[in-house]
Amino acid sequence: MSIRRRRRSIFDILREYMEELEELTDEMFERFMEHPSWDASEKSLEPLCDVIVKTDRVIVTADLPRADPENIRISGISDDLIEITAKMKMKVNFEDLGVTHRRGEFTCFSCRVPLPVPVDVSKAKARFRKGILEVILPRKKGYEIKVE
Amino acid sequence: MSGDKITIIEQKEVPEGIKVVCGLPDVGLVGAIAVAHIISKLKLEELAHIETDLLPPIIILEEGLPRSPIRIFGNSDLAVLSSEIAIPSGIIHSVIRSIIEWAWRKKAEKVFTLGGLPVPNRHEIDKLRIFGAASDNLMIKTLTENDVEIIKRGFLVGPQALILKYCAEKKIPAVALLAEAFYNYPDPEASSVVIQAFNRIANMNIDVSELIEKGEEVRLAMRDMMRRTQTELAKMKKSHEYDIPGYYIR
Repeated sequence: MSIRRRRRSIFDILREYMEELEELTDEMFERFMEHPSWDASEKSLEPLCDVIVKTDRVIVTADLPRADPENIRISGISDDLIEITAKMKMKVNFEDLGVTHRRGEFTCFSCRVPLPVPVDVSKAKARFRKGILEVILPRKKGYEIKVE
Repeated sequence: MSGDKITIIEQKEVPEGIKVVCGLPDVGLVGAIAVAHIISKLKLEELAHIETDLLPPIIILEEGLPRSPIRIFGNSDLAVLSSEIAIPSGIIHSVIRSIIEWAWRKKAEKVFTLGGLPVPNRHEIDKLRIFGAASDNLMIKTLTENDVEIIKRGFLVGPQALILKYCAEKKIPAVALLAEAFYNYPDPEASSVVIQAFNRIANMNIDVSELIEKGEEVRLAMRDMMRRTQTELAKMKKSHEYDIPGYYIR
């Protein structure tokens, strides 16, 4: 008895490939999530961050409630990685957040934000408003192609 | 209990004809923060909880005792649905359908769903606008009479979308109250705006001053729920709400 196998079209193969890729991305994202958003030894909290890529610039925002505007530091680690640290106006401990079975206090926010495209960190500008830090980083220029 | 069943277990008898208020984790956690504030201010007691094998194996501990992460708090007039966890996108249809069927069995007078409408330049906005959508024309009129701007055309994704859809199917009067909000950051200010609109429509008087005063504290406490919610929002394709609907001929 011969077994007839249906030939898979290129669309079937592409769909399966996309599904596998989506599953892998989800898994990686979930693995990335599986760490605490605090570090008791460093007394730091990881802030919520967001990265928006525009045609000429990258905008990084970070939610820094209770941060002291005078004590926010942004440093360029490389042309696609920045580090944000911010001291809090007053420390917060687990008990303040309703958690009594852990010990530790937090005095600052700290995170490294990977950027999807290279930027010129030396020309970056930042502002802090309503507890939200906004860092605007100009994108590195590439080659311009002339339209004939 | 069968594997895919969702049951609402009432610890206390929930009266018929109540108003149901939903504030599930979504953009800016606007609804989640709003209902937490309502529960606290009105000192609502736990009336019911959701039981299902579809949720991740999570309990919330209160005074060392296990509690369901999705619960209904209330009094003789209100039933407020609150969740301590981001509802996994894969089961959101089943969860919302069960809740609305429960509201229908309880002959709910109205269903309110509180949430946010993401705006990219949120941190530059001082006076937040409030928008709404409803399950029927009468509720649209109610929204307009209470200074809530109608979202005439656009996409709605997530809990609010399904609550309106299932309420329309079951003919339960329902409104979605959505304040301009951060997409990715907890937004207690937006929560205060939806509560004020809820106060007007439901003839309530819930004070929001504490929510504004303790804004930074709320944002600190909600960081982890926001992180988990972001993952589920991405899976739901929440950014679809930014899309401009296709061309149509009037």
